[in-house]
Amino acid sequence: MRIIINSKGLAIMTMLLLGTLSLIASIGYNSSILAFIGLGLVFWGAVLLYIRSEEYTKKGLLEAALSPSLTTLNQIIQELGYKGDAIYLPPKYFAIPETTKIYISKHKDTSLPTPEQVQKRENQPVARTMRGMLITPPGIQLSKLLEKSLGTSFIKTDLESLQQKLPKLFIENLEIAENLEIQAENDMTQRQEDYPASPTQMKSTTVHVKITKPIYGTIFKEAEEPSQITVSIGCPICSATAIAITKATGKPVRIVDTKRSEDGNIIEASYEIIEE
Amino acid sequence: MDFPLSFWDISLWLAITAIILLITSELISPYYGKTNILINKRRIRNVSIIVSTLFLITVAIRIATIIISP
Repeated sequence: MRIIINSKGLAIMTMLLLGTLSLIASIGYNSSILAFIGLGLVFWGAVLLYIRSEEYTKKGLLEAALSPSLTTLNQIIQELGYKGDAIYLPPKYFAIPETTKIYISKHKDTSLPTPEQVQKRENQPVARTMRGMLITPPGIQLSKLLEKSLGTSFIKTDLESLQQKLPKLFIENLEIAENLEIQAENDMTQRQEDYPASPTQMKSTTVHVKITKPIYGTIFKEAEEPSQITVSIGCPICSATAIAITKATGKPVRIVDTKRSEDGNIIEASYEIIEE
Repeated sequence: MDFPLSFWDISLWLAITAIILLITSELISPYYGKTNILINKRRIRNVSIIVSTLFLITVAIRIATIIISP
């Protein structure tokens, strides 16, 4: 452990030194009071050294640094004219394991590409074709941090397990939100509009996530005019959650709705798990 | 030139320290929303659990001594 000599480090070192001297003196003078003082100083000095804060950054700085990147991403997508919904593709679409990317189709309501089509272009940072484009999700690093904190990959979990583990990861492990509620909803719906050729009943799963007091809560307030595409890609937290869901289920995921409270303290996002 | 504290003194000290640490750890838990305190909350919880366990060990030793002694 590296000890930085600043006011905190100096206070801790003084406590440890005085404590040690007091313990030695207590033996010499046979004084239990000096022993208690020494024990207390050494113990609390050691505890303070151990529990010292990790490196923190102010929330405002994080949001200010990220906001231009999202604005630029939004402008690039708008400029290129990709109007479809952003769909998070699971790792089975890619040759490189653990990869997750967002697919945005050129036009609305077009079908997903096949894994073979995706694999041809997966190494390109922004893979563009006439049909759609592949981009790296804004929450990819955050999802990796969540996996590191969980100690396993989301691929090895399932949706039920994710529902149990994700709140702990967000609240306790990474402290990126004050509360997180995640609920999966299964419904059998007639999807004639989406699939006119096969008007059969399709099982659809929607995952509702409610995040209270998240970091990046006001990120889109800072971004100029968030478009539909930025909302469907989602903020880094919504994006990381989408990655977790797509990895856990192994199916493509679409952010269907994102609601934010005025103050940015509550984010409610709905994710649709697309049945292939 | 012996150490002036007895085993039971240490046990009492551990009990008081454990109570202070457990209460602190519970009050700053992220579940209560007190996330403004910039310390490693997981580590303080670990320390409080270790100190509490040490105190319980001293209690177990005391009970064992009472049972074993004639």
